[in-house]
Amino acid sequence: MKKRINVQFHYGLMVAPGLVWLLLFSIIPMVGIVMAFQDYNPGRGYWGSEWVGLENFEYLFSMSDARQVMINTLIIAVSKMVLNLIIPLAFALLLNEVRLVRYKKLIQTIVYLPHFLSWVILASIVLSIFGYRGVVNTIGGWFGAEGRIWMNSASFFRPLVIWSDVWKEFGYNAVIFLAALTGINPNLYEAAAIDGAGRWKSIWHITLPGLISTVVLLGVLGLGSVLNAGFDQIFNLYNPMVYSTGDILDTWVYRMGLWDLQFSLATTAGLLKSVVSFVLIVSSYIMAYKFADYRVF
Amino acid sequence: MKKNLILPLIAALLVSSFAGCGGGGASSTASSSTPAATSTPASSTAEASSPAEGEASGDDLAFRKFDEPVDVHIGMKVSPIDTTLPAGDSAEDNQYTRYLRDNYNINVIVDWTAAEGNDYNQKVSLAIASDSLPDGLVADDRTYMVSAAKSDMLYDITDLFQKYASSQVKGIMDSTGGRAYDHAGYNGRMVSLPHVSVTSDGVHNLNVRKDWLEQYGLEVPKTVDDVETIARTFMKEKPAGENTIGITGPSKSGLLYSNFLNSSDITHSYDPIFQAYDVYPGYWLDNGDGTVSYGSIDDNMKPALERLASWYAEGLIDPEMGTRDNSTEPVNAGYAGMWCGPWWSLGYGNGDAFVNDPTANWQAYPIFTDDGKWNVHMKTIGKTFCMISKKTSEDTAAAIIIMYNALVRDEATFDTSVAIGWYPLRVVAAAADEVDYTANELVKVLNGETEPEDYNDPLSIYKLLYQDVSKVRNVVPGYEPGRELNVSDFSMDNLGDFKRMYAQLIGSRPYASTTVDKAVYSVTYSLTETMEKRWSNLKKMEDEVMLKIITGQSDISAFDEFKTNWLSQGGQEILDEVKALL
Amino acid sequence: MIRSKSFSSRLFDIVNNVVMFLLAFSCLYPLWYAFCLSISDKSAANSGIVTFYPVGFSLASYKEIMGDIKFFNSFWISIQRTVLGTVITLLVLIMMAYPLAKSKLEFKPRNIIMWIILFCMVFNGGQIPWYITVKNYGLIDSIWGLVLSGSLPVFNLILMMNFFRSLPKDLEEAAVVDGAGPWRILFGIVVPCSVPVLATIVLFTGVYHWNEFFQGLVLTTGDAHYPLQTYIKQMVVNIQTTNLTKDQIMQMDKLSNKSLDAAKIFIAMIPMLVVYPFLQRYFVSGIMLGAVKE
Repeated sequence: MKKRINVQFHYGLMVAPGLVWLLLFSIIPMVGIVMAFQDYNPGRGYWGSEWVGLENFEYLFSMSDARQVMINTLIIAVSKMVLNLIIPLAFALLLNEVRLVRYKKLIQTIVYLPHFLSWVILASIVLSIFGYRGVVNTIGGWFGAEGRIWMNSASFFRPLVIWSDVWKEFGYNAVIFLAALTGINPNLYEAAAIDGAGRWKSIWHITLPGLISTVVLLGVLGLGSVLNAGFDQIFNLYNPMVYSTGDILDTWVYRMGLWDLQFSLATTAGLLKSVVSFVLIVSSYIMAYKFADYRVF
Repeated sequence: MKKNLILPLIAALLVSSFAGCGGGGASSTASSSTPAATSTPASSTAEASSPAEGEASGDDLAFRKFDEPVDVHIGMKVSPIDTTLPAGDSAEDNQYTRYLRDNYNINVIVDWTAAEGNDYNQKVSLAIASDSLPDGLVADDRTYMVSAAKSDMLYDITDLFQKYASSQVKGIMDSTGGRAYDHAGYNGRMVSLPHVSVTSDGVHNLNVRKDWLEQYGLEVPKTVDDVETIARTFMKEKPAGENTIGITGPSKSGLLYSNFLNSSDITHSYDPIFQAYDVYPGYWLDNGDGTVSYGSIDDNMKPALERLASWYAEGLIDPEMGTRDNSTEPVNAGYAGMWCGPWWSLGYGNGDAFVNDPTANWQAYPIFTDDGKWNVHMKTIGKTFCMISKKTSEDTAAAIIIMYNALVRDEATFDTSVAIGWYPLRVVAAAADEVDYTANELVKVLNGETEPEDYNDPLSIYKLLYQDVSKVRNVVPGYEPGRELNVSDFSMDNLGDFKRMYAQLIGSRPYASTTVDKAVYSVTYSLTETMEKRWSNLKKMEDEVMLKIITGQSDISAFDEFKTNWLSQGGQEILDEVKALL
Repeated sequence: MIRSKSFSSRLFDIVNNVVMFLLAFSCLYPLWYAFCLSISDKSAANSGIVTFYPVGFSLASYKEIMGDIKFFNSFWISIQRTVLGTVITLLVLIMMAYPLAKSKLEFKPRNIIMWIILFCMVFNGGQIPWYITVKNYGLIDSIWGLVLSGSLPVFNLILMMNFFRSLPKDLEEAAVVDGAGPWRILFGIVVPCSVPVLATIVLFTGVYHWNEFFQGLVLTTGDAHYPLQTYIKQMVVNIQTTNLTKDQIMQMDKLSNKSLDAAKIFIAMIPMLVVYPFLQRYFVSGIMLGAVKE
């Protein structure tokens, strides 16, 4: 009995540094959430500012700006989620068909690379590739195309953001699929070949079904990030000309709070985002557990 | 008309300074004394009554050296591309901070630095949000100052300013007709030191390559139609090859037109075009019948926008408009034929254009309406403010005012091979009519009507006038009375002098010599209460719509939609608030 | 695997190999492009004629960087931050994940703690309260501000928990019989068996700290304290001058130097290039066991 308590105590001791870390840098700053219900006046602080109830929320919902930002966020985030499943899956299937083992390894190593580079760096390269005097216009010029100012085109910005993210992550996202592929029993393929199934049939009947549970699981778990359209990426790529299509919740909240001094409004929007994300994450975890029998934690 | 206003002001200033420093500035004050008392600030007159007591007052206090070193903590904006600071020097230790330490015993301590622009503003926001303003901090926009004042973080310097500001500074404040005090105040108390800039910083000219005009036998432009003809010819003939640009446009952080919050120092905008259509986007207009309208939603905007859109579509406007880091680059490279900007944008602004091509004969002209009227919108007092924290001691607050006095008096004498931006808490103050006044006096000196020595007065509110008139004859050796100056009349031996003289003599010529038919002021140049909440969104909507119409991404019907949205999303409410300010 | 050697199958192989090549090329190209720009002549780089190979070979940019103290200072800060951040995060996570990998019976407050962690992952007070808090701790300009203020990486915690849970139970049970306490079990048995997941987390945390730029912007008082990514954000991405003043315009002529920018970017990429191929073999298994995406 005594020993039992002892172990519990030591477990507690082990967890403590992490909890203190959370307390200091996550929980204490959460006091700031009260700003969402105030007309925050920094001179008076959290407790001296005027309480305004839900006024900030009402105002937020009345802003056409906020609606547009919401739409942008959803379009960008959902497109990324879907494409970041499909493209890596397709890539993994194709890579799996490459027979030269060394070539395969080399390709695999190379396509991971962009995942490890920061958006600060990639954005500066993207900006220079799509700049007026960048590679895209130079090559276009060889074929007589007129130079365009890509980064300022509101209609171009969303596809750019979505596809550059897919490009950055497809190799990395394929890791799970590639690993799942190695888990498929090779005997199945042999049996199929004996039955006279061609390559396409094996992919269709053996490989894909072998991956489907992974795809579903990743899709469900991705739900929680429906409102994360990628702050780092957009913050480093956008400019005022593309706010109409490219401004997302996180960048908007950032500008509200740190440029426009609308502290309360920024907090309100941030809080709303948190609540929605929380609900989504919890339900996705529950779904993953129920349907895929997968325990996240 | 302008000069009538000016003379009493100078007189007022000279007398107050005379009274303040007990004879120090006596050299040229004899000329006028009577009109002074009326417009001199109350405190100065009070001091004038007891100058002999030996107690520090007036300009003694304004340039006082503290007995003990006074620490001033500041936040500082730096330019990430600046290369002028000598090795070993820093934001905290450079020729300007040493000047302050040696002369006033002011010890500048830099709490933080940030790159100018958004990063700096972000730090200012954080300082306000966390109630941790350093002793002195420059706000780049009135929004920040008002926000800090509203949160009761700023020192009430109403009395302190009267005590410590130099007579020169007060003269400059008064040259705005007292508007500068309102501008720097909140709820009737003075809470910041304002940037006071010259009126003509907000007057936009069209700058044209006159050598190109002559090459194609074109007349100097007077109307919007002329501008179009010229741009079309330039784009057809392509004097700079494939890179030729008819008219430049704003950079990616630039504006299509100045507005009530940014009413000066805007370059590569289209202000002259809008004004020639008698529209004033971005301005709150007094309709004269007790109502107020907002210039950007005026239906007369449509023809102006359609005209610009047709120019853009035709390629007369820089196709890279709105995307360049810096729109002056093509001007300096010799590609551009026309662009708009205030007086200093010529010479100062595009100095390298002349270095690269000494025959680039840039000239500035006003653009008139079709019936020959010159409409000009007028700027606010200034854009930036030096905020002083409420938590600061009185000595430190006084030190900050002294830093402001010193900058105003001595800026001209600094060795500017180290960028003047390194002067801590730099907020510039200049007499409102300085540039046009100087321009006219320079011409007088060139004509031989006056002599440089006539201007020798160290405490003039025209801080650089004496220096300018002393140089002008050397810088413009080719001057001939009665003929428009050309670039070839100037000597470029000293590039700094050349740029300054070019800006003053050519850049400010339109405003100094042309009668303004209609001067348009905004009813307010700062945010009302509702605007504090909604303006950034309305402004964003406006910027986007205008840009899209001009670049052809939207057609003109988007304007009506914008107008409706603007009014319904807070615009109407704001109009009512602005009306109450009348 | 048995191969069918029909014509269509061969055609597919060829096309497939080419597609794979193009994809790999697209992933290497930015790197190559930055490299080409960095060793090209300044004027060639600015004019946009550099596409697939350097134009007008010049090492001027690298020479210029050699004299840029701020760049190397930032580089050093980033290295410190990455090393400290990785070591500390790893330690805290190991200690935290182990008890949490136990069931509710073995560690009673487990579920409550998990909910707290999940809650903290999603909710935050916003950037301003966070800044005020870190400032009150006196961590502005401190390397510890950069190391700690990002809070606990929950995703990595879950990854590690899942890995620990997958370890065979008999190992621990044998140790318990031998009388080993929880600490000895953790560091003597569990940790040595967990190299793949530890390597994965080292990689993830290291990458995070190396690539993070935003905290560097907010939690420092000037460029002497910037980590490298913040420096690059400032010097390369961010040179957008809001309404130009006279002074600024006068300094603008030296503004753009794409070659120099590219050289800085290239140098900033090098540590990642060097490290990740070595950790690659671990993180594949690490991710698989975690099988959760960020």
